[in-house]
Amino acid sequence: MSVWLSAVVYGLSTSAILFLVSIALSVGYGLMRIVNLEAMLYYSLGAYLTYTLVSTTGSMWLGALCGVLVGSALGFVVETQLLRRVYGKNMLFSMVTTFSVYLIGIGLIQYVWGLNPKPVASPTDTMLRFWGVAIPLYRVLIIGIAGITYIGFQLFLNRTIVGKAIRAGIENRDHVQALGINIYRIFTLTFVLASGLAGLGGALNAPLIMVGPYMGNDMLLYAFTTVILGGLGSLKGTFISALILGQVISIGGTIWSPLSFVGPFFVMFTVLIFKPNGLFGVKGVAFGFDQ
Amino acid sequence: MAKRTYEWLLPFLFTGGLILARYLFPSKMTFITEVALYTLYVMGNNILFGYMGYVSFGQPVYLSMGAYSAAIYLAYLGRSPLVAILVAILMGVLVGVLMGPVLIRLRGSYFTLVNAAFCAIGLFTVERLLIGITRGNDGLWFRTRMLATPLLDIRQPRNFFFFAIMVLLVIFLLYRRMDRSVLGVAFKATQGNERRMQFLGYDTFKIRWIGFVLATVLSTLAGSLYAINFGFVNPNLGENSRAAEVIVATLLGGSGTVYGPFFGAITFLGIKEIVSQWITRWELLVGVLTIVVLFRFNRGVWGTFMDLIHKGRKTSVLQRE
Repeated sequence: MSVWLSAVVYGLSTSAILFLVSIALSVGYGLMRIVNLEAMLYYSLGAYLTYTLVSTTGSMWLGALCGVLVGSALGFVVETQLLRRVYGKNMLFSMVTTFSVYLIGIGLIQYVWGLNPKPVASPTDTMLRFWGVAIPLYRVLIIGIAGITYIGFQLFLNRTIVGKAIRAGIENRDHVQALGINIYRIFTLTFVLASGLAGLGGALNAPLIMVGPYMGNDMLLYAFTTVILGGLGSLKGTFISALILGQVISIGGTIWSPLSFVGPFFVMFTVLIFKPNGLFGVKGVAFGFDQ
Repeated sequence: MAKRTYEWLLPFLFTGGLILARYLFPSKMTFITEVALYTLYVMGNNILFGYMGYVSFGQPVYLSMGAYSAAIYLAYLGRSPLVAILVAILMGVLVGVLMGPVLIRLRGSYFTLVNAAFCAIGLFTVERLLIGITRGNDGLWFRTRMLATPLLDIRQPRNFFFFAIMVLLVIFLLYRRMDRSVLGVAFKATQGNERRMQFLGYDTFKIRWIGFVLATVLSTLAGSLYAINFGFVNPNLGENSRAAEVIVATLLGGSGTVYGPFFGAITFLGIKEIVSQWITRWELLVGVLTIVVLFRFNRGVWGTFMDLIHKGRKTSVLQRE
């Protein structure tokens, strides 16, 4: 019993990280119709900056803040300088471009931090006790942060005028432009937000894993799996599929350890066979996939 | 008439050029062999990417599948390298036929990403799941188990070079045949406007399926040749992070052309050979190279050359929106 309870909590914290990182992919698909692979670069950078700041100042939260800021700033540069050129073009342009940016970033990370994996100390070692099961406070904090992010993002999308413009842009961007809204400014804003969240995801994940130059590769696959399973472009779908996959990774890994790696992919394959657009995906041409 | 003869001669000219290069620069023989093998691999990706417009981030898995099926055959079941190549080709057909309907149904980015996931599963399988058979990261060695092949003993690198060149020549001829045939045109037409193709009575699903099988077979063939050339395989061959390399090579040569992959392989491996003297991990360079090629040079080496010869004829898919 106690094994399963802690597995569920570990799964939830995995879901939290998956969700934070996948938002960038999800809104990239939904709004800008690009495949935003370099979010994984901000994820890795967030983790590395956390490592550096933990080892110099000792504060992990300062590292997380730094990760968010650097992620957002880089997102701004990449979006305005590079991605502007690929909007409206074939999907393969954005995929190949953003993957190249990711590779460049990985190369630079290797120059700065080297190839060896770095351990990051957890900011708190406090254990909480639920029904006699010890749960690390840090994992509960991560779950809380992701939950607040989801609620905050939903409120932002539903209650503010900018958020409504983003949702309208996901639906039909020509009409939004016809209303006199500068869609490109909205793209930039969304991209910066999403990049910052990917940086936050990396920073929060840093104490849970070893920080290495290829940490983005695994996360890339999991984030893809999350977004595809949930349906491209749907925030709710991303949230729910992150919840499912977190449990698949955690509980599956408890049953048989290789399942924690391949389990998510099998879930995705199975769902895609029956629902090629994912759980909450929008069918047809709305997202520009069948063109 | 003169033009037709010159086009007929091209495959012989290119493979002859490789043989000539081997004698001019004897120290570069391994490099030239790798060019021949890599060309096959890039050709497979070119069918997906150039002809059909599918981007796959999972090509390494098909390469390593071919390599491992040949290696497992040679290490445990039989001893003839030629049969091993045949096994790898059959494996490619099998995987293409079985996986095709699942993968080819997915469009655009779904195809790319599911292939990437497939590649991760493949890497995981050879690295950990089947560690008893594949020996994991130590690699599977089988050089001593290979028996001599009739006429040309391909266990020796200098004989293997000629074998690789011969395979390349045969594939060149078949590839050009495909490009000139209804099939090659159908690939491009399906990419251009699928609905019109359906209206004309073509089963576009079947066309894409055939394309996928051909791409898979070329990759597994290249993989098996890689395995036999090295005498061992390790999971590195199927690493996810190397998925971009073959796309860069395809773009560099000129996607959607018959001889583009050949020039892509030469250019890409050439750059790699020169640069790897200074840096060992060179993701940075692959990234920069891809962006420059994609935005400034997307007709590729062969595409640019063709443009110079006959102006106005577009062959690259990237030109179309």
